[in-house]
Amino acid sequence: MPDTPAHTDQDRFRRLQELLFEEDRAVAQQIKEEVETLRDDLVSPEEIQERVQPFIDHKVEYLQENFPELFGPVMAETIKKQITEQQDEMIDALYPIIGKLIRKFVSRELEQLVERIDRSINDAFSWASWRRRIAGWFKGESDMDRIVRDLARPQVEEVFIVDQDSGLLAGAWSRKPHADRDMVAGMLTAIKSFVETAFEQGEQELEMIEYDNNKIILHNFHTFYIAVTTSGVLTSDFKSELANLILAFAEKHAIQTREDLDDVVVEKNSKALKAHFDEYIEQNQ
Amino acid sequence: MSTLSKISKKVILLGHFGVGKTSLVRQFVHQKFSEEYLTTIGVKVDKKQIPVADRLLTMIIWDIEGGAVQSKLPQSYFLGAHGIIYVFDLTRPSTYGRIEDELAYFRDLLPKASLQIIGNKKDLLGAEELARFEREFSGQCDFLSSAKTGENVETMFAGLGGLMLAE
Repeated sequence: MPDTPAHTDQDRFRRLQELLFEEDRAVAQQIKEEVETLRDDLVSPEEIQERVQPFIDHKVEYLQENFPELFGPVMAETIKKQITEQQDEMIDALYPIIGKLIRKFVSRELEQLVERIDRSINDAFSWASWRRRIAGWFKGESDMDRIVRDLARPQVEEVFIVDQDSGLLAGAWSRKPHADRDMVAGMLTAIKSFVETAFEQGEQELEMIEYDNNKIILHNFHTFYIAVTTSGVLTSDFKSELANLILAFAEKHAIQTREDLDDVVVEKNSKALKAHFDEYIEQNQ
Repeated sequence: MSTLSKISKKVILLGHFGVGKTSLVRQFVHQKFSEEYLTTIGVKVDKKQIPVADRLLTMIIWDIEGGAVQSKLPQSYFLGAHGIIYVFDLTRPSTYGRIEDELAYFRDLLPKASLQIIGNKKDLLGAEELARFEREFSGQCDFLSSAKTGENVETMFAGLGGLMLAE
């Protein structure tokens, strides 16, 4: 079929259109492809996770490192408020736990007491026991008094020689290793100074400090004092025995605290204390 | 290996209320500082060991409560002290106005004790104020310190340690 002028014009127009929009079409195609890629990424959770994960990790790490600073005050305030506002609920929640702890402690102590009573009863019919009983009759001490005294026999736990004025440690002995004897000596002296001056009772001196099941007995000398920590039931007999023991020690060893308290002096006094108290413990076991 | 021989000495800290005695001890013993002010009641005992020359010196530090007239405090707190650190506040002239009168009592009570006079809270003074203080009170104080920044705290205690062992 021969070309008509209209047909030819149409072809030419299409050709022109193709030439003019070729570049735009390429751009549009590229945009379309990128949109499709993005759409694929967005719909794939794995892809999103892979890209976002580093940011989350970084934030988590930051929070872990700075949690106390960021949330500490708020949490402390919240807990404090909670405790204040809901005291009854808190007590209800803690009561069973505390109760269990107390029950456990009491039952353990009772077990030990029962064991000691059993030992005392078993011992009651031995020749040694009859001897003690006869001695008790003469001294006017009942079996019950003797058993109770034996159950909580007082014992010396620690001894400190301390300079009266400076509160510096001049010697020490203890059954168990002690963390900081220098501080104990300083604090004892500070307490002693405070009590002896605060109540202004003339020349009176502090003689005993009591805490829990322990007592600290203070024996004052002119330039130093000796502090003895004891456990168990402190009877007047034991106090008198202890006073004699301390006096005998002070008489036997010329304790000097006014000279330089170096390790030579402290060690010399500590060795003397150890020898004296080891001998006493051996005799009284 | 040779070990240092040990020796113990009692050090007392004196000065008015709020001059920073407790903060100086806290900085020296625990390397800590707090802006919170807690007044000392009675006495607080602390301990620090430092090597001085060929000896290991155990300082038993008695941080005694502050007061405008320290001589009114129980004498037993001061007795037996080998070293005195008298602290005043550089920002409060009332804490160092009568320093010589106050020290006279302690010099009489503890004639053998070594003494260091410390102007504390240096961090609160500007350069101009500091220069003026040094001009007017030069020689009256051994160290200008800051318990907050730790400036001269170790040096001052070590200095006192040296003086006590030289006695």
